[in-house]
Amino acid sequence: MNASGKIMNCEDYREAIAADPSESFEGGAGHAAACESCSAYRAEMRALDETIAKALAIKVPELKVPDLPPIGEDDNVVKLPVNRPSRFSTPAWLGIAASFALAAIIGIQFSGNGPDSDRLLAEEVLAHMDHEPWAVTVTDVSVSDAQFERVVHAGIGTMDRDVGLVSYAQSCIINGRTIPHLVIQGRDGPVTLLLMPEEMISAPVELSGESVNGIILPHGDGSIAIIGEREEGIQEIEERVVDAVEWSI
Amino acid sequence: MLGFSLYFGRVSTPDSQKLEGRVIIAQGDGSPRMSSDNADLKRRQRFDRVVGVLHRDLYRYAAWLCRDPGIAEEVVQEALLRAWKSLDALREDGAAKSWLLTIVRRENARYFERKRLETVDIDSLTPSQSAMLAESEDPNLAEMRQAMYRLEDDYREPLVLQVLMGHSTKEIAELMGIKTGAVLTRLHRARIKLKEEVEKAAAA
Repeated sequence: MNASGKIMNCEDYREAIAADPSESFEGGAGHAAACESCSAYRAEMRALDETIAKALAIKVPELKVPDLPPIGEDDNVVKLPVNRPSRFSTPAWLGIAASFALAAIIGIQFSGNGPDSDRLLAEEVLAHMDHEPWAVTVTDVSVSDAQFERVVHAGIGTMDRDVGLVSYAQSCIINGRTIPHLVIQGRDGPVTLLLMPEEMISAPVELSGESVNGIILPHGDGSIAIIGEREEGIQEIEERVVDAVEWSI
Repeated sequence: MLGFSLYFGRVSTPDSQKLEGRVIIAQGDGSPRMSSDNADLKRRQRFDRVVGVLHRDLYRYAAWLCRDPGIAEEVVQEALLRAWKSLDALREDGAAKSWLLTIVRRENARYFERKRLETVDIDSLTPSQSAMLAESEDPNLAEMRQAMYRLEDDYREPLVLQVLMGHSTKEIAELMGIKTGAVLTRLHRARIKLKEEVEKAAAA
C-alpha cells in the first residue's frame, strides 16, 4: 500500500524508487519483497546512485575566503528614497504598457527608463526579497487569522483571503514604511506579495530573472509587488490580488 | 522579522550627527547596532566555523549548477561575501547549509543574468570544464559525469541536492521553490535519462 492507501503496482513502485532509491516512501518495501523484478530494479537504481554520487564528488579546490569588509555603519543604514513620485490615480496603469524592465531577485538587473523613484522602489523590493529567502517555501499550512490581521491591519487596508492560501505574513520595512509581506501558494509554487499602500510608481515595473517572474503594479495611491517562479501564471494572480486589496490609507 | 526596528532622524549615539536624516536599522532592544572588535571577532569566528564545514558542499553544488569549476569558484566567493554581510539573518547555525545553498543558488542565477552566457555545448568546452569531466580515470565515472553534464538544469539540480547534499524531497522543494510532486517527477526523469545514457554508452 502506498501513502494514499492504494496497493502499489510495479509501475508506481518503479517511478517511486527512481525518484527515491532510499525507499523512504510508504509501501515500497512490501512491494519489493513480493516482486522479484522490482527488487532487481531497486538494486539497479541503487547501483546507479552509487555511480552518480561518485561522479558528482569532484575535486574541491582550496577554500579562498574573499576579503570580508568590516560590518560598519553603512551596513546598518538604509538611505531614504531620493524623490517621492507625483500622485497617480488608479486605474490609469491599466492602460499603460510596461515600458521598461527590471530584472529580479536572483539575478535581476534594472534596465528601464522609469523615474528614479520607481527604480529605487524596485531595488528595495528585490533587496528585501533577498534578505528573507526563508519566506518563500512550498507548504499547505496557512498563517493564522490573528497573524494575518496583525500584518494586514486596518491602518493598511484589507485583503480578501480568497486570493490564495497565505503561508507567510510579516510586517516588513520598505523605504522606511512598514508594509505587509505575504506569501501565497500559487499553482507552481510560492508567490510573494508586498502590499505598499504609500509607494506610488508611475507605471508597472516588470521583474524577470533566471528563476523568477514578477511585477510591481501601481494600485491606488500605492503599489503591489507580485513575484513568483518563472513558470508561475503571474497575470492571473495579478488580477486576483488587485481585486482583493483595498487601501485604507 | 529579524528583530529589527527602524528609527528616523537623530539617534542618541556619539555618531548621531552623522546619522541625522537617515534610517538606522537597530536591534530589537531599541539600541542602534554598534560594531566592536569583540563583536567582529565573534562574527568572524562564527562565519569561519559555518563556512569551513560547508565549503566543499557549496563548491560542488555551484560547480554542478553552472557546470564550470572556474565560474563555481567565483559564484562561491560572491556567495560567501553575501553570506558575511547578512550573517545576522542566519538565526541558527543548524540551518546554515540550506541558507548557504540558497545564497549560492541565487548568486549563480545572478552570475548568469549578469554575463548572459550561452548554454555550453559539450563539444566546445573550456579547459576548466574539460578538466572537471576528465577528472576520473574510471571510464564509468567519466561517462556518468558527461551524462550529468548533459542533463537539463531542472533535472540535474534536484539530483545533486538529493544524492550529494542528502536533502529530502521536502527540503529540495523548499530550496527550489517548487512542489514536492514536481521534485519527485524531476528526480525520476533524471535517473531514467542517466540510466539510458549509461546503457547507450555501454552498448557502444
